[in-house]
Amino acid sequence: MQNPKTNANHERPRGRPRGGDLVAASLCEVLNLVRLGQADTRQEIERTSAFGRAIVADRLATLGELGLIDEAGTGVATGGRAPRLVQFCKERARIVVITLNQSALGVGIADLSGRLLTEHHEPGDLAEPRACIDRISALVRWIVSRQAKMTDLWGISISVPGPVIANPAERFIRTTPDFLHDWGNSGLVETLLREFQAPVWISSSVEAMTMGELHGGAGQGETSMLFVKTGKRIGAGLVAVGRPYHGASGAVGLIGQLPVTADGQTGSLDRMAGTDMIEAQGRDAATTGESSALAELLSRNLPITANEVCQAAQMGDPASTAIISRSGHLIGGVIATLASMLNPSLIVLAGSVAQTNDILLAAVRETVYGVSHPLVTRDLRIVRSQMGASAALLGAASIAVEALFAPSVLRDWILSGSPVHHPEMVESLASANRSEPKVPSVAPPPPAAIRT
Amino acid sequence: MTIVGLGPHGEPAAAPERVTLLPQDIAAARARHLRVAVVMHTVQSDWAKHLIQGIVAVLGDCGAIVIETVDCDFSPDLQIAALDRLRGERLDAIISLPVDNAVVAEAHKRVSAAGIKLVLVDNAPTGLLPGKDYVSLISADNFGLGKMAAELLARQLPENAKAGLIGFDADFFATNERELAFARWMEINRPDVQLTTTRFSAVASAGTATEKLLDQHPDLQGLFVVWDTPCDEVLAVMANRQITIPVTTVDLGHNVSVSLASGGPVIGISAQQPLLQGQAVARTTITTLLGRGCPEWVALPGIAVTRETVAESYQTIWRTPAPREILRGLDLLT
Repeated sequence: MQNPKTNANHERPRGRPRGGDLVAASLCEVLNLVRLGQADTRQEIERTSAFGRAIVADRLATLGELGLIDEAGTGVATGGRAPRLVQFCKERARIVVITLNQSALGVGIADLSGRLLTEHHEPGDLAEPRACIDRISALVRWIVSRQAKMTDLWGISISVPGPVIANPAERFIRTTPDFLHDWGNSGLVETLLREFQAPVWISSSVEAMTMGELHGGAGQGETSMLFVKTGKRIGAGLVAVGRPYHGASGAVGLIGQLPVTADGQTGSLDRMAGTDMIEAQGRDAATTGESSALAELLSRNLPITANEVCQAAQMGDPASTAIISRSGHLIGGVIATLASMLNPSLIVLAGSVAQTNDILLAAVRETVYGVSHPLVTRDLRIVRSQMGASAALLGAASIAVEALFAPSVLRDWILSGSPVHHPEMVESLASANRSEPKVPSVAPPPPAAIRT
Repeated sequence: MTIVGLGPHGEPAAAPERVTLLPQDIAAARARHLRVAVVMHTVQSDWAKHLIQGIVAVLGDCGAIVIETVDCDFSPDLQIAALDRLRGERLDAIISLPVDNAVVAEAHKRVSAAGIKLVLVDNAPTGLLPGKDYVSLISADNFGLGKMAAELLARQLPENAKAGLIGFDADFFATNERELAFARWMEINRPDVQLTTTRFSAVASAGTATEKLLDQHPDLQGLFVVWDTPCDEVLAVMANRQITIPVTTVDLGHNVSVSLASGGPVIGISAQQPLLQGQAVARTTITTLLGRGCPEWVALPGIAVTRETVAESYQTIWRTPAPREILRGLDLLT
């Protein structure tokens, strides 16, 4: 999936820096100045980078040949001739983004600025990894085929519903991390590498959503943000000094394991306040008749999930409201502890429970404002995410863009014009191409019952 | 009937009953003397006419005046111009069916940035967020419609059949969902069926796309067309070539309904409920104008229509007796 416009330079010389290394370093610096909007004319690049005019002209010419920058536009004249604008070619390549959660999967495509161009979400079942991987491949093929002007594919970034422990020494992953039961040996990463010949990144959905919220949602411009995702599992992400905080090994925000107590019962936050508990309590309320709205669903043989409980609560059903409020107070108690330690300026609640009604948000606010030190809550805003699963897709795109253009990675591929020619990526692809699919990806015979 | 699809940002569906208007709401709305505009992809199709009818009736009950109904003729340029012009009309709300994705996104953002409530129908351009850039999206469960059409067609497909999918070549939420759901259902439940996809960029070119598809694959044994208006073009090509393979589509338009009643080539239709959808759109518009929260995605289930149910479904969906051609096709007239 690459344009053959590059001169592959797979072997990076080792030892003392040579001319090529210095050129690559200056190309990276100039490209990132333009890409991040810190300079958009030759004069500004000279001023910001401290490179001389000849070096800047040479590097811009090289970046132009590689298709990474464009100098076609003109800026505003400040006396004399208008300067030529230097712009990053965000259309040079595309990044496919994928989000998996317990009951749905989403796929999108983004440009090199991390902007999401299109997305699709549908129900999915993570309990069947092979079928799920086949569907992901089909959706990636579909979304790539739907691009009117599909350029190179420079990466696939996946958000998954579990912690991903990264190996800092590995810049391009080759195998699927064990983020969820049965997925460590699923061949997800290997399949995507083999089929699409592009780098793959995997991050936890909380980390991806935190990044998405920071770049495209309520967190834009914030320097300290706590992001909390509610669902079957409850997790948190942290932005400190304007950057995502990864901790010692990437295991940030696993708050769902923390013990909480309510009504004389003690259990993990996941078990006591997650969607499984909301669903179970909703079914109880339907069976006992405590909730007339849910009882009516039951009488019609309609499913009662956390979503139905949330919707009933939003419509004013007292029993459903009590269930969501209880969950919100428990989550709020844990958030209050985090907020007291971290003093964020913004707390964003995401996930289906938070996004389908206002009751969870109200309960969390009540608890956090009620128990925290006044100095912690004085300027604190607690809001609901408005991005839905798009936050994970947008965040996955940001993670891929940051990884691609990190100077330590960029300098090893910039002279070849494509990250696919990065030496470690070449090795990853060779490894993936050598590996055989673990199980044939042929669809199984039709089951007796029709499935959706 | 449950909703099987997800919203444009992965939102779970809310039933249209989630948005209700009580007598006091209607009284409050009437006191506001609201002004609303409707910007449609087309006003020519039966579906569009009934959707508008549903919107206008409920808005009328609430004393909200529809000052203009724009026909964009599927043109992004016309839609952008219409939205930019209507921004100057000091409207309370604009109800819009975005005809494309990225191309019309900024024009829609400008509407909400101007303080006008924006309620979307059937499509949400990528990058626009509910609650921030627009109030709600109200659509059919298009994923469910595609799945339904696949189930209906599969009944008529022999083992190892070749089938064609005629999709819409625009980045449009509703048709994307139908196409993906149709292909997915076949992949899971009829993996023996070999599916070939072609797409048309405008309704008028659906016939040409079909000609090309049939030239390249003369052995197709079934077709799915993503909605009824282009399906009329497909049926014309098939009639011209004297081909009678089974066809399924979406929406109970007049011609496809007559074909279904007469025994084919249309053998099944997954139908939307445009009148109810229009009413839900209007209720959502009034609800937000009264300052109350609305669900991010309101979805209406589709109805699977076969020859046996076409007359009653016609009445249910269009709220009018089925035309004599349909009744004659069903041998219900002497």
